[in-house]
Amino acid sequence: MRITNNMLINNMLSNLSNSLNRVSKYQNQVASKKKISLPSDDPIVASRALKLRTDVAEIEQYKRNVDDAESWMEITETTIMQIENVMQRARELTVDAANGTKTPEDMAKIKAEIEQLKAQMIQLANTTYSGRYIFSGFKTDKALLDEQGNFLIEVSDDEKMFYEIGIGDDIDVNVVGCDLFHGGSKGVAEGTKSRLIGTFDNLIAALESGNEKAVGDVIADIDTEIENILRVLSAVGARTNRLELTSNRLDDDYINFTKLMSKNEDVDLAEAIMHWTNEMNVYNAALAVGAKVIQPTLVDFLL
Amino acid sequence: MSGSSFFGIDIATRGLYSAQRGLATVNHNIGNITTPGFSRQVLEQRAARPILMANGTGMLGTGSEVIGVKRVRDEYLDVKYRTEAQYLGEWDVKQALLEELQVIYNEPSESGFNTVLNEFYDSLQRLSTDPSNPSTRAALKEKAVMLTKYFNSVAAHFEYMQNDINEIIYAKVQEINSLADQIAKLNQQIYSYEVSGNVANDLRDQRGYLVDKLARLINIEAYEVSYGKLPNGQDDMRFVITISGKALVDHNKVSYLTTIQRENKLNEEDIPDLYEVAWADGNRLVVKSGELKGYLDVRDGNEGLNGSSGFRGIPYYMRKLNEFVRTFALTFNEGLIDINGDGVVEDVMGHVDGYKLNSKEGDSAAGIRFFTMFDENGKPMSSEDFAKLGGGDIEEMYRHITAKNFSISSEIYEDPTNNICISSAPGEVGNFEVLRSLIDMRHNPYMFREGSPEDYIKTVISCVGVDGQLAMHYLNNQTAITQQIDNRRESVSGVSVNEEMSNLVRYQHAYKAAAKMIQTYDEILDVLVNRLGV
Repeated sequence: MRITNNMLINNMLSNLSNSLNRVSKYQNQVASKKKISLPSDDPIVASRALKLRTDVAEIEQYKRNVDDAESWMEITETTIMQIENVMQRARELTVDAANGTKTPEDMAKIKAEIEQLKAQMIQLANTTYSGRYIFSGFKTDKALLDEQGNFLIEVSDDEKMFYEIGIGDDIDVNVVGCDLFHGGSKGVAEGTKSRLIGTFDNLIAALESGNEKAVGDVIADIDTEIENILRVLSAVGARTNRLELTSNRLDDDYINFTKLMSKNEDVDLAEAIMHWTNEMNVYNAALAVGAKVIQPTLVDFLL
Repeated sequence: MSGSSFFGIDIATRGLYSAQRGLATVNHNIGNITTPGFSRQVLEQRAARPILMANGTGMLGTGSEVIGVKRVRDEYLDVKYRTEAQYLGEWDVKQALLEELQVIYNEPSESGFNTVLNEFYDSLQRLSTDPSNPSTRAALKEKAVMLTKYFNSVAAHFEYMQNDINEIIYAKVQEINSLADQIAKLNQQIYSYEVSGNVANDLRDQRGYLVDKLARLINIEAYEVSYGKLPNGQDDMRFVITISGKALVDHNKVSYLTTIQRENKLNEEDIPDLYEVAWADGNRLVVKSGELKGYLDVRDGNEGLNGSSGFRGIPYYMRKLNEFVRTFALTFNEGLIDINGDGVVEDVMGHVDGYKLNSKEGDSAAGIRFFTMFDENGKPMSSEDFAKLGGGDIEEMYRHITAKNFSISSEIYEDPTNNICISSAPGEVGNFEVLRSLIDMRHNPYMFREGSPEDYIKTVISCVGVDGQLAMHYLNNQTAITQQIDNRRESVSGVSVNEEMSNLVRYQHAYKAAAKMIQTYDEILDVLVNRLGV
């Protein structure tokens, strides 16, 4: 084949440009730390990258939801424990009052304390978390009980707040007021007297009458309420437990998925730099050889 | 005659002339080393007609003569080059434009669709953990605006791009006409030269170069046809260029191409008044390859819909975006979605089924659509005005939404605190049952034919990625093929400096030697005339 000067120059140019393209590819990889800059560089990596990014973003959301659920349930759990403490104190006082050695003054003192406990109980029923009443079901802007212990709102069992903590995995975070303060009932109408507060009322009435037998009769009711509170508390505990497990799993998932994401789209820096150096050497060699080849012709020797 | 005193000087003079023409040819070649399309020329030289000696001693040579200057060219390679250049032009354009399309989608990145959609759902989740909080509601509104703006911006960029390509198509048609014009003029000139038996080497090179350029633009066939015999007995050759069988250049006549603004859009997604390319005489033009085909395919290609090419161009990607926002808005607003993949659309809770935050016991569902579109003034449309567009037909209503005009409704825009309706019952600020239904939809694999919202966009991005990769491969192949043919052509027709230098030396010596011959005869004659003097 006849080789002409233009052929040499054209070939050299196209070789240099190919070589420079590869240099630029690895340079981009090193600078961006990403394997690809356009989907067409590798459509499979690109579509996997999109999928994994979504997965990671979702796990992050679920982690935040779990954190929020944990805070909500923590305040619920603490409040229910306080409620239980109040009930235990009321029980102690009641047992004390029922043992038949109390003077009317003692009875009056006990009654006064029970009244305080009732007020405290109503306050606990109206506990808020960042401005929201935690036992009011969906009506989080409204208090649950009035000062007498009547339900201010209609509350029902299906007013459960579900937080999403995984794909298709919901957890209910709230305890509905009727469950805790009305003996585990499914729903309660507005204006109904809370059974738990009713027990306090009965106790106060019995203390007022000074009838020790009547006071003693209330103990059974108090025990029923305590039993109910403990049932709710253990349910909350079980859910908190589940949240903790989910939280751990999400932490693991997060690590795994970010690892996968990195493996999919991040470049191995050492490898990229090596490729770059290699291509740069090729480019330099091509330049040097090219410069030598296209220069000399007969013209240089004809003088 | 054979004894003529000056016969030798005549032969030597012919030698001088031949060497001179040779040097001139070398000079011409060297001067045109960098002229695009130039073919090297060689001297056609032969021994001059000899003289028959009357005394029976045979023929006496009379030196050399130049019979012409020939251009070295392989016509077969020209045809081959032009066939391949058409596809090189087409894929060069497609590759560059597909890269531009991918940049518009901006994926994978930290600011593309994926991020925007993730953040939108993230804000829905945040709202679920604090449903009555005005700031989480305001945040959701902002994220929704971001989502709609993403689509508006991508659609606007597609439109700019379609418009730009349309202008380029106009320019390319003008370029084709102008090249055809120049070729027709050259044809006339070449014909006039050659009719008298000459060869118009350099004009032919110029024409060849223009035809090469034309071949990149559109599918052409270029050939010389015989129109019969000239009076001098030679073939009457005329040069013709055809596009899909119809002559663009017929010797010195040109049939022009023209651009006509379309009255009816080819695709619903197109911008108005795109140019249709046709023959100026009204005939239909079939563009099969070349840059023009590349531009037309990217501008019009809608997977073969509406008679467009099977290529996936701007209308295809616009349609995909529109389909997305329509289905997404319909599902999100109305809660119409196929839950279990049985092909039947179920009516679950959508945003219209929700109650306002400040609703009171006894209020009915607010019926507010979260997503609507911009009205003709560019303002978000209210849910009610939007509903009127359909005239009772929900599908029809959503057909008005495009990626370009996709927006949140004016209600949400003006008062997100109250008008984001996520409660399934009136007067319950902590109720987010509707929101749960909306969040659930994200993982519904039947929301789109392609799956969930992410799957849908992933499919589109993979599609543009694969097409881009394919275009890159085609371009690389085509570049290699074209370059190889061009190299072969260069190998035949290119100027080699070494070769020219050798010829230079060769002709220089021939000239010197011929001059020496004259000097020798001069000396002989000097002896004869001056020294033998009486």
